[in-house]
Amino acid sequence: MTRNPYLSDTCHTLKPLVPIDTLYLIQWVKKILQEYLYLVKDKVVDMKFLKFEYKITIFYLLAGGLWILFSDKILLILINDRTVLSEFQTYKGWFYVVVTAIILYFFIRKHLNKRRDLERKLQEHQNHLEKIVKIRTVELESTIKHLKETQSHLVQSEKMASLGLLTAGVAHEINNPLNYIMGSYSGLKLVLKKQLDEDEKLNKLLKNLKIGVDKAAGIVKGLNQFSRDQESFDETCEIHSILDNCLVMLNSQLNGLIKIERDYAEALPPCIGNVGKLHQVFINILTNSIQAINTAGKIKISTKTINNSILIEIADTGCGISKEDLPKIFDPFFTTKDPGKGTGLGLAITYNIIKMHNGQLDFTSELTSGTNAKIILPIK
Amino acid sequence: MKKFKILYVDDEFINLELFEISLGIKYHVFTAHNGIAGLQVVEENPDIKVVISDMKMPIMNGLEFLRKLCTKHSEISCFLLTGYGLTPEINEAIREGLILDCMSKPFEMELIDKEIQRVLNK
Repeated sequence: MTRNPYLSDTCHTLKPLVPIDTLYLIQWVKKILQEYLYLVKDKVVDMKFLKFEYKITIFYLLAGGLWILFSDKILLILINDRTVLSEFQTYKGWFYVVVTAIILYFFIRKHLNKRRDLERKLQEHQNHLEKIVKIRTVELESTIKHLKETQSHLVQSEKMASLGLLTAGVAHEINNPLNYIMGSYSGLKLVLKKQLDEDEKLNKLLKNLKIGVDKAAGIVKGLNQFSRDQESFDETCEIHSILDNCLVMLNSQLNGLIKIERDYAEALPPCIGNVGKLHQVFINILTNSIQAINTAGKIKISTKTINNSILIEIADTGCGISKEDLPKIFDPFFTTKDPGKGTGLGLAITYNIIKMHNGQLDFTSELTSGTNAKIILPIK
Repeated sequence: MKKFKILYVDDEFINLELFEISLGIKYHVFTAHNGIAGLQVVEENPDIKVVISDMKMPIMNGLEFLRKLCTKHSEISCFLLTGYGLTPEINEAIREGLILDCMSKPFEMELIDKEIQRVLNK
């Protein structure tokens, strides 16, 4: 007799109740079952989590197998009549097919309904997500737009700050020698009082000297106005003198070929705002007008009082703005000028300054015939 | 007739010279090239009626000089001259009455003369 490794020595000596091979088999099956149950308990092999295809296969196999094993026996127990039994046996297969089909139908339907529900929920969730993404995109776009505007503001204010420092420095440096000339002129007039009454030439020379100094002093004053770093909006702004200051500063760019036509209202009331920033506004608009005129042309500046507001119109005979470009002119960084010539910030800044004055800025333009800028500022 | 005494403070020598030539005919002009020298001149000549000072100067600027001057001699009328436009600081000084007016450079002697006359006639 061969020794069984699973049995103790005493076992070998005892006479077994069942044949040893059978005992061995039972122990083996027990072990396998234990292992399987352990697996079921420990791991996630719960029926709930079994995959659908496994469930169906298991059900099908069980139903089929049990049917084959027990259907005949049950029939035999229930029915004794042989003819009835054979009749039943013919329909037995059909009965099985129909019952399993019905059970499987409900089983699959329940499963699919679950899936459909899930899909619907998923779709809803996806729609919701898409909506959120859309909202976020709009938010982001407005943030980017805001950032761009802020950036343009920063660039411009940085530029203005350095320009302001430069012009203020230059203005002061020029002012001093101008002061010498002015002082000398006063001194000369006093010292040469007697000759001046007699000599017409000397009179003219001194007069022209004074005109020159006055003109230079005017330019310096204009520069000072333009570069002021005042941030308050409560200054008294004389629109005519601001316009004239700007024209003095831009005079060199007119090349004698661009005619300036002034149509100023008599006794225009002042408005409240920021003198320096309004200088920027008119410099920007007038510069655009000058650059739009290729060779010769005309810029007409007119002022009017309308309903407690000041209307300033600047019309040029330049190249005009195309219909496609007109809605974009206030966008920061939009420019039709050659790279390096324009930053695309001028009108964006201008628009913002007018807005800060609670005013309005409108452009109408026709290609080749010119552009008309309309600025409305409340008097308050 | 005895001339009224006025003081002009500026760090530019040429300006001082020209001021003296033009207004020296009408007034007894004292000049100083900075604030400290200006204060000293007033100490030595307390009968100075009008002080005109440049804004931008070394050591102390025009407003600082005039503020120091007025704490001791509040009866003196002060004017400021500047090559830069009006600043908030200057506007404040005009509001509180420290200076009667601020004139911008380049200044005209006739204008300064008129202002001085206005003060002296009061």
